Amino acid sequence: MINTGRKHLVHVVKYRWIWMILTSILLIPGIIAMIYSAVTYPNHSPLKVGIDYTGGTILQYGLEQKLENSDVTKTREALESVGVENPYIQILNVNTSQQENTKSNINSIISIRTKFIAENSEESDKITEELQKTYTNPELISVSSVGPTMGKELFKNSLIALALAFLGIIAYLSFRFRFDYALAAILGIFHDVVFVVGVFSILGLEIDGLFITAILTVIGFSVHDTIVVFDRIRENLRYYSKKMSFGEIVDASVNQTLTRSINTSLTTLITLLALYFWGGVTTRDFVLAMILGIAIGTYSSIFFCSMLIDFWNDKGKQPVSA
Amino acid sequence: MKNKILMFWFIVLVVIVSTALIFVKPTKLGLDLVGGSRLLLEAETTDTIAKITPDVMNRLQFAIEQRVNKLGVAETVVQQVGEKRLLIEIPNVTDLKEAKAFIGETAQLEFKREGKAADGTPIWESTGLTGRDLAKSTLSTDATGQWVVSLDFNAEGAKKFADLTKELVGQQMAIFFDGELQSAPRVNEAIYGGKAQISGGESGFAYDEAERMVNLLNAGALPVPAKIVEENTVGPTLGADSVAKSKKAGMIGLSAVMLFMILYYRVPGVIADIALIIYSLILFALFKTIPVTLTLAGIAGFILSIGMAVDANILIFERTKEELRAGRNLFTAINSGFDRAFTSIFDSNMTTIITCTILYLLGTSVVKGFALTLAIGVAVSMFSAITVTKNFMHLIFGTGELKHPELFGLKKDEIGQSYEAVETKREKARFGILD
Repeated sequence: MINTGRKHLVHVVKYRWIWMILTSILLIPGIIAMIYSAVTYPNHSPLKVGIDYTGGTILQYGLEQKLENSDVTKTREALESVGVENPYIQILNVNTSQQENTKSNINSIISIRTKFIAENSEESDKITEELQKTYTNPELISVSSVGPTMGKELFKNSLIALALAFLGIIAYLSFRFRFDYALAAILGIFHDVVFVVGVFSILGLEIDGLFITAILTVIGFSVHDTIVVFDRIRENLRYYSKKMSFGEIVDASVNQTLTRSINTSLTTLITLLALYFWGGVTTRDFVLAMILGIAIGTYSSIFFCSMLIDFWNDKGKQPVSA
Repeated sequence: MKNKILMFWFIVLVVIVSTALIFVKPTKLGLDLVGGSRLLLEAETTDTIAKITPDVMNRLQFAIEQRVNKLGVAETVVQQVGEKRLLIEIPNVTDLKEAKAFIGETAQLEFKREGKAADGTPIWESTGLTGRDLAKSTLSTDATGQWVVSLDFNAEGAKKFADLTKELVGQQMAIFFDGELQSAPRVNEAIYGGKAQISGGESGFAYDEAERMVNLLNAGALPVPAKIVEENTVGPTLGADSVAKSKKAGMIGLSAVMLFMILYYRVPGVIADIALIIYSLILFALFKTIPVTLTLAGIAGFILSIGMAVDANILIFERTKEELRAGRNLFTAINSGFDRAFTSIFDSNMTTIITCTILYLLGTSVVKGFALTLAIGVAVSMFSAITVTKNFMHLIFGTGELKHPELFGLKKDEIGQSYEAVETKREKARFGILD
């Protein structure tokens, strides 16, 4: 028997069904939200898609005053009255405690999203003029604009990138481990991605190019975690496969790597939380996606992926060799 | 032991060189941090140019570069992306609307004559004389003090112009700029000498208008029209704000992680922290030397790579602690801790590098910045978290038995209680285990 020096803290194999149910509880609300959005949103997409993929223009203005939620409606109506079509307004309040070390006196940011504003168009002037009427000294701090054809192309590229990342990881893991390990790791990634995307769907947050980056990072991290557990299983199989069942080895390996899995996620989450609370407002959703992904990635590598390979290998509790 | 001391001095050297490089080299900050504009232009085909060839792209790039340089801003970038796109980066631009209009203008100057369409309606017909026949253009005033754009034709242009005016005596000749009629004077006599003037029609030119036309004519027309398909502009205030916030967040995050490592892993934690500082030094030196342009997403990549660098140390220390619990001596425990953790670290870092490569090849420039910093970070962490930490561990703890388990955050009664480490003969030899 592998003696890990303490009682097993988690029982992956014994309470298999608990982990399967917990996984379902984690994933199903997000999936429901996505289906609901796909049915109710006018463009039938399971998530709010940012201008990176749909095309459009976002103008952001920095304001000295704090804004209320009622300002959203007020501004939207004002803009619609001058002929801006379907403006989507968002307000980001800047935490004043963050301002200590910065010279800027911007206390809130109002972000206005419209359809793609072509060059030489009067549209952006109209918006600026309208805001100058309502607020004191709005400062145009950023403009992002993506043409409609460009958006489609970016979307295609992101999907290709995701697919290639999946294939690359499967290929590498099949080469270093075995195909069923690779498959478990990929299902683990899938699990994590569905969770993060589901939460974004529930919260109604927009996905953009940075979101895809966050997802790819989460994928990297989740595989990272899973590999550490699998590596330990592989090592233990080498020494104990004749004495213990596959399930016992999986359980022992998960427990041996438990402290490491938690500590690593903890240190990464510490840096991410610092970015979330003290970093710029513009990357907040990006960081949130990573926080969610890394937390769920740790869960999936400990419980979900190990459970899967045990599930596949559990044939009559006989010693197995890898 | 001798090797270890050599290695120690090598690490010291790397640190000194890195620190020196950090002081000497400037940091390249991306447009989202200093403020500026990133534009993506796409060339469009016309009736005459049906296909965007590399030659057309080179001419387009040249013409755009001329114009961007006219803006008088330092460190602008104009580069081709893919088959028909140009990426333009302009830092610290003050009037973006103006700059955009200036860059995107086709600036096609055309001289046209009266003609008739098939159904008999009067139209303006091309004469073959265009902005390409110009030698240069200057801003001047006419007799009445109105601003005019003076044109000097080149030899061929002068000849064409003379022939044309000779032919058109008594008729109107129209001057079009980007498809817009500027003026249509009546030709009184043939004009020799290759000089002409464009007045702004009845209302005349405003100074700005005339000056802009002169600049555009001198910079040269675009071979094909190009339209903006993507734009990202960040004001300098937001940029400075992001830098300040990222620095603060990075500092807080890094300190918290370092504190955690010391509290949990004790002396090895301190060593990991030193390795982390060395890691940051090497990384910044590399960023400045390569150079990597730091963007907001790049900084996020860097902060994330800190997490991964620490992960390697956590893996190693957890393994070392297990070996110590099994009652191994320090030298063996440290060696086998590193050795056993290595495959995990290597495999997981490889998958990160695979995803980074894909992101770098397929991503937009924002994503590329993130992938590059993360990949460099992971590569450097293999050195700092493994080589540096291992060296320091051996130098500090030496080869004896573990006398003070609290240095590792272990309890005395834990020792010898733990799992039985099983090794093959070969591994025993490698870790230096004597039975």
